[in-house]
Amino acid sequence: MSKIFIVEDDRSIREELAELLRNSGYEAEYLTDFSSSKAKILSAKPDLILMDINIPDLNGEQLLKEIRSETDTPVIMVTSRTSETDEVLSMSYGADDYITKPYNPTILLLRISAVLKRSAGSATVQSYNGLQVNDAKGCLTDGSRELILTKNEMIIFRFMLDRRGSIVTRDELMTALWDNDEFVNDNALTVNISRLRSKLADLGCEDAIETRKKQGYILR
Amino acid sequence: MRFRDYIRDRLWFYVIAAVSFGLILLFLGAYRVSGQLMAFITVIFLLFVITEELVGFLRKRRFYDELIQKLDILDKKYLIHEMVREPDFLEGRLTYEVLCQANKAMCENVSDYKRSSADFREFIEMWVHEVKLPVASLQLMAHNHSDKLGDKFLEQLRRIDGYTDQVLYYARSESAEKDYIIKETSLKRTVSNTALKKREDIQLAGASIETEGLDVSVMTDGKWLEFMLGQFIANSLKYTVEGRETVMKISAEELPDRVLLHFRDNDIGIPENDLSRVFDKSFTGENGRLYAKSTGMGLYIVKSLCERLGHSISVKSEQGQYTEFTVAFAKNDFYKMQEQ
Repeated sequence: MSKIFIVEDDRSIREELAELLRNSGYEAEYLTDFSSSKAKILSAKPDLILMDINIPDLNGEQLLKEIRSETDTPVIMVTSRTSETDEVLSMSYGADDYITKPYNPTILLLRISAVLKRSAGSATVQSYNGLQVNDAKGCLTDGSRELILTKNEMIIFRFMLDRRGSIVTRDELMTALWDNDEFVNDNALTVNISRLRSKLADLGCEDAIETRKKQGYILR
Repeated sequence: MRFRDYIRDRLWFYVIAAVSFGLILLFLGAYRVSGQLMAFITVIFLLFVITEELVGFLRKRRFYDELIQKLDILDKKYLIHEMVREPDFLEGRLTYEVLCQANKAMCENVSDYKRSSADFREFIEMWVHEVKLPVASLQLMAHNHSDKLGDKFLEQLRRIDGYTDQVLYYARSESAEKDYIIKETSLKRTVSNTALKKREDIQLAGASIETEGLDVSVMTDGKWLEFMLGQFIANSLKYTVEGRETVMKISAEELPDRVLLHFRDNDIGIPENDLSRVFDKSFTGENGRLYAKSTGMGLYIVKSLCERLGHSISVKSEQGQYTEFTVAFAKNDFYKMQEQ
C-alpha cells in the first residue's frame, strides 16, 4: 500500500483528500502544523507527496527544492492559481506533476497512480492468468495464440489490470480513456467492455470481468 | 491664427483709438495748431498703432499656431503642454500655466482611478483563488459521499467553477499586466485537458468530440487556450438543436505562416445579422434571448484574450447548420530561437 503525504493548509480539503485517498486504497497522512515541515515529511517516508504550493508561512517552492535535495520521492504540486508561471516554476524545481484546484477527484487519482507507476519504474510487461500483455504490439499472447486488442480495449484492460481484484468505476475507466484522447461515450464504453470480455473468453478466461451493479467492474 | 480674425478681435481698441485721436485732432484744431504739425502727429500715431498691432499679432501667432498645430498631430492630446514652449507674453503665460495645472490635476485624478481599479482587480483575483478552496473541498465531499445527489452536486460545482473562471479571465484580459507565458504548446494536450475537464458535462448532454490533425504545436499560453476552448464547448452544449446529437469537431490546419485551430459544431448556428457582433461585450443576440440565459461575456473574453496573446479569431455560421470558430496562431521562429 503506497503512502501519500498531504501538505495542505485548508483543513476541510486535507481531510476530504485523505478520505478520498484511503477509499482508493492508499495510506494517507497530513501535516496539521507547518513548523519544520520538511523533517516531518521526510520522517514519514511517503511514496508520494501531494503539496499545495501556496501555504501561509511556508514557501512551497522552497520546500520542494529542499525536499528534492534530499530525496527522490515523487511530488505532485497542487495550486489554486491558474497561471502558467507557477506550473513552469514548480516543474523547474523538480515537481513530477502539477494539478490545479479545484480538481476532478478521478483525474487526481489517475495522476497519482501514473506518477507512482513511473517512479516505481515497474516493468510494463505484466501477465494475467498466463497471458502476456504486450503494450508495444497492443496484444495479449498465451505463447501460441496472439490476440490483438484495439487501443480502447488496451487502455481499459491495462487500467483494470493495475487494479486487479478491486472495483473500477465506469467514471474511472472513462477518465482514463479521455485522458488518452479517446473521447468515447457511455455506449461505446459498454461495447468496448463486452468486446474485451469476449476476447478474453476466446483465450480461455471466461468471466474475467465481473459486473458489479451500480458500482463498476472487477477484473478477477 | 489669421490676421483678419485678430483685427476683428481688437475692434474695441481701434474704436477707442479712433475716438481719442479724433478728440486730439479736435483740440489741436481748436488751439489753431498748424495743419502740417497735425499731419505729422497723425503719421506718428498711425505708425505707432500699426507697429504695436503687428508686434502683438506676431508674438501671439507664434504661440497659438504652434499650440494648434501640435494639438492636431498629437494622439494623446492631454500632453499638449509638454509639446509647446512657454510663451513670452502675459496672456500666453497664463494660458500655459492653466494648461499645466489642469493636466496635473487630471493626472492625479486618473491615477486615483487606476489605483482603485488595480486594487479591485487584485481583490477579484484573490477572491477567485479563495473561492476555489471551498469549491475544491465540496467537490471532494461530493465525490467521497457519492450517491445520486453526489453527481448533481458535482454538476452544480462545475458550473460555479466555470463562472469563477470567467471572472478570473475577464480580470486578466482587461489588465495591463502581463500574466501569461507564451511557449510552445501541444494542441493535442490542450484539447485533451479541456475535454477531460468538461467530460461529465459533454456526456450529460449526450454530445461527442471528434478531433483531427492536432499533432501540432503552437506558440500560446496553454491555460488561456484551455479556457477559450472551454468557452466554445460550453456554448456548443448550450445552443443545441432539439433531437440532434451535438458533435464538436476540433481540428488543426497548418499553413506556411500560421496554424489554424477550428472548432466546429452542428448546433443552431448564429443568425447572419448577429454574426459580426458575437464578440462584442454584453452582446447576447437572438440566441441569447431565445435559449439559455446568456451574459454575452464568454466570447468577448475569448476575443480579448486572443488579442492579448496576438492570435486572431473569426467565426462562420449558418443558421440551423453549424458554427465554426477559427483561432489563428502566428508561427514565430523568434520565440523558438529564444527557447534554444
